[in-house]
Amino acid sequence: MIILANGKTHRVARRTEPAGALWVRMDELPRATGWQMKPEGACLGDLCVPLPGDKREEWIADADDWVWFCYSEFADRIGQKYVRDGDVWSLGSVPQVRQAGLESGLAPDFEVTERNGHTLRLSDLRGRKVVLFTWSSW
Amino acid sequence: MAEDSGGAKAVDKWFVRASPSYRCVVDPTHQISSLFGWVSVPSAAWIDENGRIVRSNEGTYPARTTIGFGLGKVRVGDDAFARATRDWIEKGPDSEHVWSYEELAEHLKPVDDELSLAEATFKLALHFEAVGDSERAWHHFTAAQHLAPDNWNYLRQGWTHKGTIYASLKVLRRTSYLRKNSDKSYYAPMGLPGEDHRRYTEPEWLWTPAARRIKQLLRR
Repeated sequence: MIILANGKTHRVARRTEPAGALWVRMDELPRATGWQMKPEGACLGDLCVPLPGDKREEWIADADDWVWFCYSEFADRIGQKYVRDGDVWSLGSVPQVRQAGLESGLAPDFEVTERNGHTLRLSDLRGRKVVLFTWSSW
Repeated sequence: MAEDSGGAKAVDKWFVRASPSYRCVVDPTHQISSLFGWVSVPSAAWIDENGRIVRSNEGTYPARTTIGFGLGKVRVGDDAFARATRDWIEKGPDSEHVWSYEELAEHLKPVDDELSLAEATFKLALHFEAVGDSERAWHHFTAAQHLAPDNWNYLRQGWTHKGTIYASLKVLRRTSYLRKNSDKSYYAPMGLPGEDHRRYTEPEWLWTPAARRIKQLLRR
């Protein structure tokens, strides 16, 4: 199964049943979605969303010898849009992250690969002025 | 940052020609535009030493630029943004072109459910294009374009999937349609001194002699 999120393609394990929802193995959740489970809930950077008490058992399940998280149900709860075609799930932006950006005026962090192969994180450039400029060939 | 699903192969010749002294990135999944809410290129943001966005614009051509479209060329842009950028680099927060927090909030575009769904759909299209499944890529490109019809990135990148000639004709057809039926300006004025703002739907055409001759013949 493939998850497209944060500009990257992640190959992850697929839960055998049920087929209709996006279940992500808990150990693969941070790599595939950016979210990780903490005592205070699901967290993405500084943003933490408590899991509703009545949903915890529904969204976290033991199956196929692993612990799984029902990400599609969680995404529905936080208003994150996603679309699926066969084994490929594409996740839209997390609305709370965008809202936080709008409220703080802080540039959203991202990680990209430079033309020379080096990884560049925007946050690595703190302390310097940055001019971000996009263009295309089309 | 080159936003191009064709990756380095599609954009490298421009990087080589520019022989840049700055950092260059290829963004095949349009991650940057998604994060900054840009719907067209060129776009740009100034980010200060504290990581705060102090200006964000679309249509930020670095100079007067000529783009080829079949038998003609269009002239767009000016150097207003480049001049303002130099001013900000020199003066920092004292530059008259820096936005206040309120101005920034006013300019950042809200993203509703439909646009979020369009974003996810567009990324799905890019994935299928990358793995060579053209039919599914086209299906999702078209779906994303329907969901976010004002997003030039989705339109032009999607049309390019069918080839550059197809994409050029689609751009001409759409700009012609918009010129007649809409007052939309995809490049909003940047509000910079000396800016020669021209609606994207009203480009300045520079016809080749061959194209001028064809036009003359058609007029007869």
